[in-house]
Amino acid sequence: MLVFRKPIEGVERPQMPADVVIVGGGPAGMACALRLSQLIDAHNAAHPDSQLSKENIYVLEKAREVGQHCLSGALLDPRAIAELLPDFKKDAPLDAEVTKEAVYFFTEKSKFKFPITPPFLRDHGNYVISLNKFVKWLGSKVEETGITVFTGFAGSELLFDGDRVIGVRTDDKGVDKEGHPKSNFEPGYDLQAKVVILAEGPRGSLTKDLIKKFDLAKDANPQTYGVGVKELWEVPAGRIASGEVIYTMGWPLTTREYGGAWIYGSKDNIVSLGFVTGLDYGDPRLDPQHVLQEFKKHPFVTKLLAGGKMIRYGAKAMPYGGWWAIPPVAGNGWMILGDSAGFLNSARLKGIHLAIKSGMLAAETAFEALQKDDSSAASLGEFQKKVESSWIKDELWKVRNLHQGFEHGMFAGMFHTGLQMITGGRGLNNRYPATSGYQRMKKLSNLPADGGAEAHMLGPAKGDGKVTFDKLTDLYHSGTKHEEDQPAHLVIQDTNVCNERCVKEYGSPCQNFCPANVYEMVDDSSQPNGKRISLNPSNCVHCKTCDIEDPYQIINWVPPEGGGGPNYDGM
Amino acid sequence: MKQVPQKDAPLKLNESGTWIREDVSYEVNEPDAYALEEALRQREKHKGEVVVITSGPARAQQVLREALAKGADRAIHLEDDKFVGLDAFNTAKAIAAAIKDEQFDLIFTGLQSDDYGYAQTGVILAELLGWPHATIIMQIEKNETGIRVKRELEAGFFQFVDMPTPAVLTIQSGINKLRYATLIGIKQAKNKPLRKVSLAEVQSALGENLQKIEKLYIPQKTKKTEHIEGAPAEIAKKLVDKLRNELRVL
Repeated sequence: MLVFRKPIEGVERPQMPADVVIVGGGPAGMACALRLSQLIDAHNAAHPDSQLSKENIYVLEKAREVGQHCLSGALLDPRAIAELLPDFKKDAPLDAEVTKEAVYFFTEKSKFKFPITPPFLRDHGNYVISLNKFVKWLGSKVEETGITVFTGFAGSELLFDGDRVIGVRTDDKGVDKEGHPKSNFEPGYDLQAKVVILAEGPRGSLTKDLIKKFDLAKDANPQTYGVGVKELWEVPAGRIASGEVIYTMGWPLTTREYGGAWIYGSKDNIVSLGFVTGLDYGDPRLDPQHVLQEFKKHPFVTKLLAGGKMIRYGAKAMPYGGWWAIPPVAGNGWMILGDSAGFLNSARLKGIHLAIKSGMLAAETAFEALQKDDSSAASLGEFQKKVESSWIKDELWKVRNLHQGFEHGMFAGMFHTGLQMITGGRGLNNRYPATSGYQRMKKLSNLPADGGAEAHMLGPAKGDGKVTFDKLTDLYHSGTKHEEDQPAHLVIQDTNVCNERCVKEYGSPCQNFCPANVYEMVDDSSQPNGKRISLNPSNCVHCKTCDIEDPYQIINWVPPEGGGGPNYDGM
Repeated sequence: MKQVPQKDAPLKLNESGTWIREDVSYEVNEPDAYALEEALRQREKHKGEVVVITSGPARAQQVLREALAKGADRAIHLEDDKFVGLDAFNTAKAIAAAIKDEQFDLIFTGLQSDDYGYAQTGVILAELLGWPHATIIMQIEKNETGIRVKRELEAGFFQFVDMPTPAVLTIQSGINKLRYATLIGIKQAKNKPLRKVSLAEVQSALGENLQKIEKLYIPQKTKKTEHIEGAPAEIAKKLVDKLRNELRVL
């Protein structure tokens, strides 16, 4: 019997007043806290008689340590960080400046180099970083300001008063598998906040609740996502230059799937490589972790990695619906930042700089709201205006139709991309519509039994143990750990759908799209199809793919007990 | 309390092959977390004050912050990168020197550290202070003359010992159930006193390391897996043959 996580009812919860609560200590949340502190410092220096306090500004971070759940390629466009911390080069952990870039189109055994690197993939002036290390560094700056970062605490629910967000409830700790409090039970706090800022990363769980409650996405395109599956490698010297950046398109994907790979040379012979698979593929048997393994079998990649050692593994969804998929980002008591809002440039595969910039603009808005003691929709709505008159919009406007252009396959996508490039992002229409990715998944009855052209990336990867790995081996390298005795945080609204319909109609794609083996169909003769859904929530790497890609949309990812999750050291 | 590399962190050896490289994530040594919990529970029963002590580089302050957030009253940090390289004898000497002006009734340490695993620091500290000690503690009760402790022996046996205070006790993991830090605890921890002790302040108490690591290496895989193929009866026959004639265990 599966018991799912929900806040314990009927307990007295500690209350804590707050000026600002930022949910999520990634690049957006940390930049927001830091900017807020700068504004308060500047105010206090100018107004010795009316000092503002940072005492009641809090960041909630579900990871045990700052940065541990942060995963990205990552290349940093320094534009935003240079605005936030002009001296950043002095001590920011920048592993290598980009020195060389190339884009390839892969076929199974060979490759074609693009004669010129498309302008949006030119990365000179950018830096190869580990987002984990970068956010740790940003976090240490935040802690120096006196703002409190609560690590190991997740936002489990938003608190409402009518149409106003009035705070955040943190996760209950010490709840057993059956949903009962243990002897060390600690109820989640109710943080009563004047301003709640959601910076949860892609597909944030509170953001999802908020969007649903107020139907915020009604005028936006549905958000579309990809899942990036990443491995960090240490390779023999001389294989790739520090600061060398390679993008590939094509194999192992066919022209029907959207996605591609990155390979970044970092310092000390560390290579970051990964594959982003668009979560709008057709075949439910496709497995994104398998896609990465097939990619590594390409002679070009095998040659790069042979004799090296895989040191870390992880996965994370990324939103690439672009400008038209962004919901309103401010309202009565709340603002939404970074990947939670969808501030990501899918042409450049970059979002860190937009996350930072959105955090800074939200901080400026929050500061003004605190000053006039007004965090109504009208007051926080300034954030929306600031975004629209900033370079965030300039940058995203130019690529507003990019991903939609690929909905009908790669060739149509390249046609639209070319057209959009010469029309300032417009292409055939000012606004291309989009479809939710999960709706593009096909039923098994409409697909070839042998997998057809996609056969090589369906089902679980086997792995040779040297260059390629099965999912469990990869998962082990994510350093994922949770308290075992707690309710499942993958909240399935109706497991009958899994056992009775999905297993027949789609063949239980959760087993394939989850990069961490959380979902398993186990034998059960009492079920009509002889299979029953079983969960291994402790394996979860918090990538959110299940919440996004499940064809029935019945999986709701909520944060597990704070402190649990992957350990993305160096990722 | 000690900060140790996380249990499943991928470790890399340093240049000289005598210890690991610093770029791993760290956590509280597990038995030390139980020692802290026990100290907090004793304080809840008998009043008093809980002081947490660590020796290590700046990063080790995290351990103290967590302990203060869980309810410790104040902290002492012997802070220097060089404290990492001390053996158990010198670490105990450094701690003894740092607390010479304190008036403790009980000192709790974890049974052993997850990294070096010496299980000596607490015991040597007791010796240096001239106090009695008991190890592998599973229970502590106050009595007329001092305390009665339950020690875990092997094979499910326990030993009860009456001892006077002050004393040093090394605590076994699992003695209690760990509590969680609370938001208010974390906030209050920021304003709790934390005394830093430099290497120079305790240098005169230290001597040469008596123990040192000559060489650290990653174990070579020596396990070999062999698949026996064929029909079940055939496999059974081959297996018995191997067990009897090659491995000689039957």
